[in-house]
Amino acid sequence: MIKIKNLYVNVEDKEILKGINLEVKPGELHVIMGRNGTGKSTLANVLVGKDKYKVTDGTVSFNGENLLDMSPEDRACAGLFLSFQYPVAIPGVNNMYFLKAAVNAVRKSRGEEEIDAVDFLSMIREKLKMVALDESFIHRPVNDGFSGGEKKRNEILQMIALEPKLSILDETDSGLDIDALKIVAQGVNDFRSPDRAFILITHYQRILNYMQPDFVHVLMNGKIVKSGTMELAKEVEKKGYSWIEEEVAEVA
Amino acid sequence: MSVSNYKVEFEKMLNRDYFSKSLHPYRKEAFAQLKKIGFPTRKWENWRFTNVSAISDGEFMISEVADAPKNTLNIDSYKMEGVNSIIIYNGHYQKELSSVPDGVTLLSGLEYLERKNGNFDTANNSPFDLLNTAFADSGMCLVEKEIQVETPIRILFISNGDRSIMVNPRVNIDLGESSNLIFIEHHVGDAAAFFQNESVFISLENNAQLNHIRIQSNSEFTQNIANLNVNQQTNSQYDFFQLVDGSKLGRSNICVQLNGENAQCNINSLALSKNNQHIDNNIIVNHNSPQTHSTQFVKSILFDTSSGVFNGRTVVHQNAQKITAHQTNKNLLLSKKAKMNSNPQLEIYADDVKCSHGSTTGQIDEDALFYLQSRGINKQDAMELLVTGFANDVLDKIPHPEIKQFIQADFTNKLGRLMS
Repeated sequence: MIKIKNLYVNVEDKEILKGINLEVKPGELHVIMGRNGTGKSTLANVLVGKDKYKVTDGTVSFNGENLLDMSPEDRACAGLFLSFQYPVAIPGVNNMYFLKAAVNAVRKSRGEEEIDAVDFLSMIREKLKMVALDESFIHRPVNDGFSGGEKKRNEILQMIALEPKLSILDETDSGLDIDALKIVAQGVNDFRSPDRAFILITHYQRILNYMQPDFVHVLMNGKIVKSGTMELAKEVEKKGYSWIEEEVAEVA
Repeated sequence: MSVSNYKVEFEKMLNRDYFSKSLHPYRKEAFAQLKKIGFPTRKWENWRFTNVSAISDGEFMISEVADAPKNTLNIDSYKMEGVNSIIIYNGHYQKELSSVPDGVTLLSGLEYLERKNGNFDTANNSPFDLLNTAFADSGMCLVEKEIQVETPIRILFISNGDRSIMVNPRVNIDLGESSNLIFIEHHVGDAAAFFQNESVFISLENNAQLNHIRIQSNSEFTQNIANLNVNQQTNSQYDFFQLVDGSKLGRSNICVQLNGENAQCNINSLALSKNNQHIDNNIIVNHNSPQTHSTQFVKSILFDTSSGVFNGRTVVHQNAQKITAHQTNKNLLLSKKAKMNSNPQLEIYADDVKCSHGSTTGQIDEDALFYLQSRGINKQDAMELLVTGFANDVLDKIPHPEIKQFIQADFTNKLGRLMS
């Protein structure tokens, strides 16, 4: 699905990512954990093509294509999706209108016909149920006046409407109460399939009570310093990150 | 830069036998006053950002019979469903194409004057109101009493041709007690040089309600001055919506007097400018009575080297307690060379009031743009979506669903062309 090789990234001339290597295969769910400021969100943003993130070295191939050469919209059409940590509010733009434009853009790129308003509405009604949102929600402006939990559920709604191959969830669990967390986790679980993959970025092991990751990676100072399974996440939850820091120091 | 440029035309005007001589004293007095004060210059406080030298140095001529349409006019391209239209072509009333809905009376300037017992509205002594009084030509007076007019009435002003014509439409709208009306001004045409100086006098009696929609979509080579004077009595409501995308110079002078308790006015305006167009909204709302309410909601979208002005003033007079007044001006600059001057002002002499004002000018929100792109929407469509989103909350103020649809489609179409 995605192969990240030796990726170096600068933000405003400061090196944030210092040689990331990661491969995610179809059907897998990878978790990336790490303290604040270790480069987790940078990794997410550079993959979807935000322009202030400059790649200085390395390659990323997405289903065989050079991801770094593609525009943000082409990446989305190719099946890449980021659930933003802080979804931006867009006053004046109706959520349904936006969703329909997005779904049709992606369909068009796949050579499929545009979906009409009636079919779209019945499709979106189904998906709204999956994230426990009522219909009034899609008639509001995008993320405008949404609560934190609503914004995150709106991200998941977009994900399941756009049907990406690889979804990156950037701290989708942050700031959610336990009920909202369960809804979000359920939404993702229902969406899992053998041909879809996920990268979940999180601070907490909490959401992993509701999801089954295949791999867990710890990001530190712009590098993946430790990889493992669910056991690693549990250890981090119990002991924090210092012991990994010490391990890394010893090796060096 | 002087009024005397227009002296020859003024004499010509007075010699037209189809204009009533009983209006001459008013015309002469207005022209004499205009000569005294002159056209505004950039030194005048309310004209600091707007240069009218194209008008004051101009050699615009009054419209001749030859400027009227030679054959029956085809107005299909300006069709609007569900309205009665009055057609004015280069200042000439096209009677056979016009109709008014039940409950509306259409009077000539003279008939109106007689009905008002010789009381000629002169509003303020602003130069362009005076110019209009001196040259008033295609006068349309709508008198309307205690009736709910179902069908909206539209005046379609068409300006065409290559001659530098000046027209001075003068529209009086009197709504009697508890009556209501939807009134649309629709300015269209592809004139190569044209100066329209329009004065509209609106008087709303107790409980009267007027929805006034103004679409200024004439050619981008015209000079347009619109002088709106609104007087409101107790419990009356005035809702104004304006879309301006035409004219080289477009200046709206809007002056509202909230004279009776509970009178309410809502001024909404959206400007879409390109090339070197200059769109100026100069608004004054006077709260003269307690418990009166006003809003000003003005947005501009500026392309290329176009420029704009928002000068909004709300004056709350001493006895006008418990009023509410809100001003919002938001501007979107879509080019590095576009320019906006914004000046929201509150002048409050009462002590128990609720007022707010705010102004923002900015560019496309890059984060919002990226958000849309990251969902597969290409950059151009995403930009268009954001600009439309910016305009939507003003367009939403249009009260009539069919007219709203018409204006929205027109706007989307024009925006699409500008952004492609």
